[in-house]
Amino acid sequence: MPIQVLLVEDSPGDVRLMREAFQDANASIRLHVATDGIEAMAFLRHEGAHDHAPRPDLILMDLNLPKMDGREVLAQIKEDDLLKTIPTVILTTSDAEVDIVKSYQFHANCYLTKPVQLDMFEALVKSINDFWLTKAKLPQQG
Amino acid sequence: MFLAADDIESRARAFVLTGQESSLVREADANQRSRQTKAVLLLGTVLAGLIVAGAARTVRRAVAARALAEKALQAGEERFRRETNASVAKNRALLEAAPDALVVVNTAGEIVLLNAQAEKQFGYRREELVGQAVITIIPEGFAERLIPDATRTVAEALHQHIGTGIELNARHKNGTDFPIEIMLSPLETPDGILVTAAIRDITARKKAEALLLDTIAELKRSNDELGQFAYIASHDLQEPLRMVASYTQLLARRYKGKLDSDADEFIAFAVDGVTRMQRLIQDLLAYSRVGSKAQDFLDISSEDALQQALINLRSAIAESGALVTHGPLPSVLADETQLIQLFQNLIGNAIKYQNSKVPRVHISVAKNGGEKWIFSVKDNGLGIDPQYFESIFGMFQRLHKREEFAGSGFGLAICKKIVERHGGAISVESQPGHGSTFSFVLAGNGLDS
Repeated sequence: MPIQVLLVEDSPGDVRLMREAFQDANASIRLHVATDGIEAMAFLRHEGAHDHAPRPDLILMDLNLPKMDGREVLAQIKEDDLLKTIPTVILTTSDAEVDIVKSYQFHANCYLTKPVQLDMFEALVKSINDFWLTKAKLPQQG
Repeated sequence: MFLAADDIESRARAFVLTGQESSLVREADANQRSRQTKAVLLLGTVLAGLIVAGAARTVRRAVAARALAEKALQAGEERFRRETNASVAKNRALLEAAPDALVVVNTAGEIVLLNAQAEKQFGYRREELVGQAVITIIPEGFAERLIPDATRTVAEALHQHIGTGIELNARHKNGTDFPIEIMLSPLETPDGILVTAAIRDITARKKAEALLLDTIAELKRSNDELGQFAYIASHDLQEPLRMVASYTQLLARRYKGKLDSDADEFIAFAVDGVTRMQRLIQDLLAYSRVGSKAQDFLDISSEDALQQALINLRSAIAESGALVTHGPLPSVLADETQLIQLFQNLIGNAIKYQNSKVPRVHISVAKNGGEKWIFSVKDNGLGIDPQYFESIFGMFQRLHKREEFAGSGFGLAICKKIVERHGGAISVESQPGHGSTFSFVLAGNGLDS
């Protein structure tokens, strides 16, 4: 069974980089993309065009998103009994203390900043794969 | 030319002002009439001169009514009769000569005497104020100070205020308030203690002070804004730059050797340009953080800070084979993160700007008078031409071609900002070809001898 990852990211450049990096790190990953917060929630709740969307094993999400921003999406996921067991990793450019604190207060499972250098970015995606999708034991379909 | 009414009034006023000196008034007037104003001044009595001046001023004002003048004259004569105190009279001359407004008040808080400056300052004519309560012109803070209580006499109460400038509000006849500074001094007379108050209008000073405070606040605000701007700009610039950098790097990695040689060269330039821009933005961020991410000054070991800087520089030290030594280093009051950065930048430069020699760097301190330490970072590197001693501490200042030495030209600007934030100064002594010594001053913790 392929590993399902939902990437919530509005920048096409970052989406493509993530695809490239995941391709190198673990070819069996299926990367789904939501480009704003509303679409992310629709995907997770199988609404509209997403009625056959799989339940992701991991959510990777930027904080600054159009329509509904990442903080709000995070809060909704963690208030939802069906969704809150999905590890949700914040991946953003912000290293502001207020964003870090707020994310953990909303029960983000991990907070990461996007490295500036390509090889560092690739290394980070590799370590996300190694830890969250390989070493960590995750709950089965809840 | 004098008009009769004015003449009389001026006499009256002079009389009221000066009481006993009525003969001098007449004498002065006589001199006026014979147009020998200067001769009066030459008579040698300051008092007479002042009275003439007062009379002349009155004429200029050209106040009318003879009747009024006569009334004032009568009032003055009455008051004069009451005021028999010789010491008070003697002081009148001095009163008029004073550059400040002077008001003499008795312990009941009534105005006994005032000079022309006081008339001018408060907008009253003298006879309007004499006998009035001082709260008419100084509503608060003066009369209260004259009241004796169970624990102190008037003299004691006054004594507490002697020589100190008390800032109060005064009220002009037209109802407007203005700030004043008053100095009190007691005057012993047979009738009891009189209090002389020297009153200075400090409106201009208050305005200047307020303006200065406003300017400081404005300066601080614009400084904060600038710091914030540098931080946000450099932070937000990183984002698009990350895209350019990532994709040029990806391009270089995947297509190097697969396109023609021109393409490889173009990609190499793009990668190089982007790498330098990233470095620049990171340094600009670091520079803006000296202000925005500043920590408090603590009593820290400068040796520990140096050791941490050397750990951060370990790859540069290993690659160059540099020998870094230091003498005993004191405890200082500093922001530790910034002190580490300071050492790191200076030692990093010392290692970097070298010809083929093995870099040697020595860090030492000397006591600078009281509680200050002069730190020196001495190297055997290329050295710096004296004409650049100042400019190297500016932003984006570089002395070398990029091909020779990489860098954004921010390192020493950051050092300067750090040292200045610590209240010190940084400078360099050098001779090209004979190494450089960078020196900076930090405050000690007050415990080292």
